[in-house]
Amino acid sequence: MHLPSVLVAGLDFSTLPQQVVNGILLGAIYALIALGYTMVYGVLKLINFAHGEVFMLGAYTALFVSWGLGYKPTDNPTGSSPFNLLLMLLASMLVCAVIGVLIERFAYRPMRSQARIASLITAIGMSLFLQYGGQLVLPNSPPQNIAGKINPYQGNIAIPLRGKNADLVAQAAKAKPAFDQAQAAFQEDLKHEKSEFDLTPQGQALSDAAHKAERTYNDLQNKADASGLQVNLPQGQMIMLVTTLVLMGLLTYLVMYTKRGRAMRAVSHDFDSAALMGVNVNSIVTFTFILGSSLAGAGAMMNATFLTGTKIDTFFGMLPGVKAFVAAVLGGIGNIPGAVLGGLLMGVAETLVVWAGYSSYRDAIAFVILIVVLLFRPGGLMGSSKVEKV
Amino acid sequence: MKFWGVRFGSIAAAVLGALLLQGVAGHFGDFIVHLVVLAGLYVTLAVSLNLINGITGQFSIGHAAFYQVGAYSAGYLATRFHPKFHGPETIWLVIVMAAGALGACIAGLIVGLPSLRLKGDYLAIVTLGFGEIIRIVVQNQDALGASYGFTVAPRIQIVSVVWLLAILCIAVCRNLLKSAHGLTFLAVREDEVASSAMGVNVTRTKVTAFIIGSAFAGAAGALYAHAQAFISPSLFTMDVSFIIVTMVVLGGTGSITGSAVAAVILFYLPEKMRDLSEIQNSKILGFSIGLILVIVFIRQMMEKYHGPKATKGWIITGGVVGGVVISYILAAILHAIPALQGVTEGSKLRMVVFAVTLIVLMLLRPQGIFAHHEFSLSWVAKLFGKKDVPRVEVSA
Amino acid sequence: MTKEYFSIKLGVAALALGMIAASGCGDKPADPGTTTTTTTGTTATNTDKPAGDAPAGERKAPPVDGPKVADGEDIKISAIGSLTGDQKPWGTDSLDGANMALEDFNKQGGIPGHKIVILPGDSASKPEQAQTAAEKAIADGAIAIVGEVASGHTIQIAKSAFPKGIPVVAVGATKTTLTNEGTNVFRVCYTDDVQGPVMAKFAYDKLGLRKMAMMTDNKQPYSQGLSASFAAAFKKFGGEIVDEQKYESGNTQFSGQITQLAAKQPDGMFLSGYFTEVGPIAQAARQAGLSKVKFLGGDGWDSPSLLTSGGDAIIGSYFCNHYNNADDRPQVKTFEEEYKAKHDGKLPGTTMAALGYDAMMLTLQRLKAAKSLSSKDLIASLEDTTDYKGITGDITLKGMNGNPPKRAIVVEVAKPDAQGQWQKFATAYTPDQVK
Repeated sequence: MHLPSVLVAGLDFSTLPQQVVNGILLGAIYALIALGYTMVYGVLKLINFAHGEVFMLGAYTALFVSWGLGYKPTDNPTGSSPFNLLLMLLASMLVCAVIGVLIERFAYRPMRSQARIASLITAIGMSLFLQYGGQLVLPNSPPQNIAGKINPYQGNIAIPLRGKNADLVAQAAKAKPAFDQAQAAFQEDLKHEKSEFDLTPQGQALSDAAHKAERTYNDLQNKADASGLQVNLPQGQMIMLVTTLVLMGLLTYLVMYTKRGRAMRAVSHDFDSAALMGVNVNSIVTFTFILGSSLAGAGAMMNATFLTGTKIDTFFGMLPGVKAFVAAVLGGIGNIPGAVLGGLLMGVAETLVVWAGYSSYRDAIAFVILIVVLLFRPGGLMGSSKVEKV
Repeated sequence: MKFWGVRFGSIAAAVLGALLLQGVAGHFGDFIVHLVVLAGLYVTLAVSLNLINGITGQFSIGHAAFYQVGAYSAGYLATRFHPKFHGPETIWLVIVMAAGALGACIAGLIVGLPSLRLKGDYLAIVTLGFGEIIRIVVQNQDALGASYGFTVAPRIQIVSVVWLLAILCIAVCRNLLKSAHGLTFLAVREDEVASSAMGVNVTRTKVTAFIIGSAFAGAAGALYAHAQAFISPSLFTMDVSFIIVTMVVLGGTGSITGSAVAAVILFYLPEKMRDLSEIQNSKILGFSIGLILVIVFIRQMMEKYHGPKATKGWIITGGVVGGVVISYILAAILHAIPALQGVTEGSKLRMVVFAVTLIVLMLLRPQGIFAHHEFSLSWVAKLFGKKDVPRVEVSA
Repeated sequence: MTKEYFSIKLGVAALALGMIAASGCGDKPADPGTTTTTTTGTTATNTDKPAGDAPAGERKAPPVDGPKVADGEDIKISAIGSLTGDQKPWGTDSLDGANMALEDFNKQGGIPGHKIVILPGDSASKPEQAQTAAEKAIADGAIAIVGEVASGHTIQIAKSAFPKGIPVVAVGATKTTLTNEGTNVFRVCYTDDVQGPVMAKFAYDKLGLRKMAMMTDNKQPYSQGLSASFAAAFKKFGGEIVDEQKYESGNTQFSGQITQLAAKQPDGMFLSGYFTEVGPIAQAARQAGLSKVKFLGGDGWDSPSLLTSGGDAIIGSYFCNHYNNADDRPQVKTFEEEYKAKHDGKLPGTTMAALGYDAMMLTLQRLKAAKSLSSKDLIASLEDTTDYKGITGDITLKGMNGNPPKRAIVVEVAKPDAQGQWQKFATAYTPDQVK
């Protein structure tokens, strides 16, 4: 099967596999955040608007821990160890859990007796407070980055989907000696020159020749590469995917096979009956927030560390928060596997929008999905499509 | 007839008031004029949102989208047609307001219709989502300046037009409220099923509320475009919607007076704080926190304490004194710690003030300042001692 | 009810989709561009894209005379920069430089009989805030505005200053059409008309690149202008632009655009945006497997944060800058000594400190040489500037439409040395060399 790069109506199918992979990795983060939303909605029937800000604070925690470990912008670290990453992960999860509990205790618990709208407004207020209050006390202008060096796994795993054309590879290999020769000649001359860009006419000629040889070689190499198809998985992002799966596995175990988990499911089914059955609902709600917030913290730490270039400021959590909420709705709010599925689908949808050439609409797709789901299947993919009857 | 006398009197007073405001503001220069214009626009926005949220009970938090549609419609028209327009600026503003209102109406229809079956949380999220979609779509139109924004020329800031729009909005909402139509809005807010059983067309009521609310927001947006002279999508983010929601909630959902008053307060205070020095802001922050603590303390005491009344009085006094002391201490701490100096810089506090207002309000007084009360002449008359004054408004 | 409801839903969904689709395609109406009105009501429209551009054609004089400084009154000059937000390094540096210039000017005698006050304004990295800051400064009585660094912000400042007749001296705004806003707009730096061709020539001649891909920040008029300028020049020299991808300042994810771009197999990438995104883009590109691609850019890269966010990926890249800390000229040395004395022995992080100094010092000196202490005469005096010896180079504004012809240098991004310097001088071009 020989699939050339087909450009169908502007779509470049050769990049599709890579984009799908990008989408799944992005979706893993959304899934982690969505789990928090879905669990809280399940027990409290409340959309925790402040969840995105918990995510943001998790990223800041990871940032501060990395500074403490010697990776400040002014430091010059040489390498890193997995221990650093583990420390950052645990710290983020812990801090987020604490913050989640505090928010629940002081902002949401007093609202339980009020109308649902009041809780929603409180949640919005809490979200704004964390965003703008954070602006005043956290370093955010300019936005911060976690030093890439703290990730010891910098390599790429290349997974070949279709081998390269052997002839083209051979052609490129044949051109290499010529390139090496031209390059060596120029380097030799460079020793007698003032600087790389201030050359004598003879030096300039050698430089031009070296460049030409490089171009020829690169062109052949590119042709060879293009004949194959491969997917690039940065090591860090693979770690991210594995960690996400592990955390989700743990969560599922907790919810399905432990007593606490059963109590959680009971509370989400019917708050008052569970209380009547002797479940300490306050404790269960706190437990839910701990779980959800720590997952968000884990997601934040991984997002900020492995998706290189992620900028952290106090509004960092807003958009992922909203998208993760849409993911939770897409999967069926209150449904844990649904949240994971929704998250992955959201990530893939967003990347496909970029792949199709509409990168500036990538954020809008989330809302379009939301509206379509709420209009046509409010229960979500894995929820029931119950119609509220009177 | 007293009825019509009061009506026309109020309208005349309103128009005169608007013109007077224009004259006074003009005296103080362009910057003050701009502030007064913005305040008036916020009043319109808050009251129009109140129609949807407070009076009809549809929790919509994407109001900035209608504002944006109005602004961009006006801007676009201004760039294409204003050069050919040769009349007085006021007439141009009226034309542009109508266009903005029309555009926003269509947007309101698009948002309102699908949201019919949704309630509470879901409705809120959907309106937010629509708001964002509209913002992103506008942000991608190169003809509208894409995400950088575009210049609306010429700059027109006429205070009287802006405040007349606000007054018109208040008048329309108030009249709607007091009429038979208003009762259907209220009925739908209270219990949709029951009102549907009583023969109210719930769908039509909700959609009407959305359309009227969004139309006013669109008209306000048109004026905003000309007042700013430069509009960009970042002027119409979710935060703006939240600010308007805060104004409505603070004033009291369902109270038109409340929304108007809260709009002015919440607009003016942060502007004032921007100019205040860091010391004064520390004091304000310290006192606010102290005040909240005092209120919470007193409330707790009132609920839990069942002793003699005199002791209650002492507790309250003690609480207030303690609160003042704590406030000063807090202010001093805020002022002294260099790391926290950033906290008290005026311009950054604005949104924090809004956020805290929302939270504190929900915790302490969810019904807002005015709850569901309105300002009326009979209430004023009662203040002056006249008893048994009949309400001058006509109820259906 | 269900049936009726469903059809309503479908109808509205169709309507909405139709509107979105219609807005996206179809022939675009003539771009509104911008219009300027003078008090006599004449307008000049133009159809430049995008809508951040100033009108083409001749610069117009402001409709009114700006304020005058009365006897004994303070002279107020506004200095606007991004003191908060993404562009904070530039804002703080440019205001630092401006303040230093005032001190030095006062040491040299100042303007007798008047105290000079700098009114700082914060544009918070947003154009609307720049507009507000400019208007506040004008309301407070400033007779001139020094600022800003980002072209997008300076355009708004210029638009606010023009109707009031107030001169604007831009510190680092390079968008070519900026000075078209009016005869009251000047700058002390080079324009994108120079920067684009410089990098194009460097890429073509010195690096031997032939296939460039561009990443443009669609939210910044600076980036859009620079990309266009680079593309035109590169094609003229004989190169090929294989792809252009867009993003927006504030974005954090670029893997989608990078993947698209990588498929076209460029040998170089032109990143015309600001440092806040350039670093992450470079990293994302390396991660996507573009290990041999060379990155090039403009003065928007100039900030130490580039190294943090760009990590190893950005080392070995090249960008165009205004001057270099290692320059031999005496003005540079004096400035650096003075700066170090005030800042704990540290050198300025960006070139905006020196540009801010140049902008303010030029304004003050031209004010002193002006016929009277008023905005109108200051504009005339600035227009007369010939061979002003600035830290960043010689500045001549006479007959230059507000754009001084200045030397542009190309620097290499290197690992910081013992003094923290990371910009290694590569080569320099004068505007004539790249025509």
